[in-house]
Amino acid sequence: MTRNDNKVMTAREAVEKFVFDGATLGLGGQNVGRCAMAAVHEIVRQGKKDLTIYGCNLSINMDILVGAGLVKRCEAGTGNLEYFGTTFCFRRAIEQGVMEMEDYSHLGMISRFLAGEMGLPFMPTKSMLGSDMLNYQAKSTAKKYEIVRDPWNPDDDILLLPALRPDVALIHAQRADATGNVVIDGFLALDVELARASKHTIVICEELVPEDRIRNDAERTSIPYLYVSAVVEQPFGAHPAGAYRYYDYDADHVKHYQKCAREGGKALEDYLKRYILDSENFDDYLEKVGGIKKMIALMKSMRRMV
Amino acid sequence: MVNCSIEELTVIEASRYINDGETVFAGTGLPLMATMLAQKTHAPHLCFVAETGPIAPVVLPTPLSVSDPRLQFKAVRLGSLREVLGCMLQHGMMDVGFVGGAEIDEFGNINTTVIGDYERPKVRFPGSGGGNDILSHAKRILLITRHEKQRFPKRCNYITSPGYINGPDERARVGLTSKKPQIIVVTRLGVMEINPATGRFQIRKLMPGSSVEAILEATGFRPDLAEKIEEVEAPTDFELTTLREKVDPQGLYSKKV
Repeated sequence: MTRNDNKVMTAREAVEKFVFDGATLGLGGQNVGRCAMAAVHEIVRQGKKDLTIYGCNLSINMDILVGAGLVKRCEAGTGNLEYFGTTFCFRRAIEQGVMEMEDYSHLGMISRFLAGEMGLPFMPTKSMLGSDMLNYQAKSTAKKYEIVRDPWNPDDDILLLPALRPDVALIHAQRADATGNVVIDGFLALDVELARASKHTIVICEELVPEDRIRNDAERTSIPYLYVSAVVEQPFGAHPAGAYRYYDYDADHVKHYQKCAREGGKALEDYLKRYILDSENFDDYLEKVGGIKKMIALMKSMRRMV
Repeated sequence: MVNCSIEELTVIEASRYINDGETVFAGTGLPLMATMLAQKTHAPHLCFVAETGPIAPVVLPTPLSVSDPRLQFKAVRLGSLREVLGCMLQHGMMDVGFVGGAEIDEFGNINTTVIGDYERPKVRFPGSGGGNDILSHAKRILLITRHEKQRFPKRCNYITSPGYINGPDERARVGLTSKKPQIIVVTRLGVMEINPATGRFQIRKLMPGSSVEAILEATGFRPDLAEKIEEVEAPTDFELTTLREKVDPQGLYSKKV
């Protein structure tokens, strides 16, 4: 990768190039904010399978991949959609034993990405001590943690968690330039640590901006180009999640998805077929969920709050 | 108490355990409602922090998620999970951690992970999230939940987030930094608090119309009784109108207790 590589490509090209069967994926954003849905849809269309998903709070981004039967394992803090309910495909897949879940706390996961991004093998934390997350683990996990004595305070125990280096991070951001300098508006969740820990990062952005705009305001760069492999411009690419300063989340569509996911079976299959498999690309999907009228309403809703 | 529902009084009572000037980490739903109510009544200088990174926002009604833009409005910083969970909570800066509905046992342990076998659970719940981090590190822990027997078992099926684990000194033994946090649970029947000398819940207050018997009936373990059991104070007009008009104007959450 050289300094001035142009990394702009379509979501289809980015997924073809960097996501493979058996890959470990780190999901950025949180809950109904900044999920990289355009990348998730493309993975479903391309049927990349046997995936392992890493993240803190996994929501509809993970649940769709699980519902499409593409995920064999998750390592995360939570699967849910808060007010909108649990993540039903995730819940069903674990209860039926078709997907493994390895539980950590959110700070546990962050600590693991922190080790990954700094090139360290593990990270200490004082979370998770005394919990059953240390007494139970998924079958295929080799070593989930270690407890050691604090070398500087020998009366005290501290937990070590192994570093995570996902094959690919999927990040949704508001702006990026063609070389992959990324600007995130609003909360950062885990995205910066995740991108730096991952071998490749696919960034879906609302707007592609000139490099000069980045250079003139470099304090605002959330992730520099060095960590980014692909840049995809996809307006409304987080839908039905929102993107701060750009558009609100689409509560109606989240409820619609939840209804299908909860019912499972044909309702879920129909959802995946109609909105994802039968869509040429994400623009096509956006038309089906309400098109320009809906997108303007979501933009207006956000404008009242920023 | 004119026309105040028991659900509303539960949120109001929970808000009273937050003091002015404190840093508060609250999840969305009832914990956030009670926190916002405290801020708009007796604790105008509390610093609310959301997990995704917002610090001291002016929350707009009514957020449905910790990722909600309504939780980011006019914050002093929009940071990250690492800053909130690591640099504030684990660092020991969080005065209050406030979480909602779950399985809570007699030692204040919480299960939000599984019922049944870990690998093939009967019911799979969302998981820890930041809950384990809150229970591990906050100085005071507030819980608000529906009071049903199955939500208050003697022992949690799985300890996602540690209360006093299985006795008064167990948190210190396993290496937790916050060794004897205050743990308070507020329900529509009353208020229970962990006695740090035993590590077990005791009944401290009763809601109007409730009784010790009613709590025992709806609880899967036998909480101790505090030396003096008080009545929950009636709401002031200010508390009630603030809740209805400024905190949860659509009544999305106040019905859920």
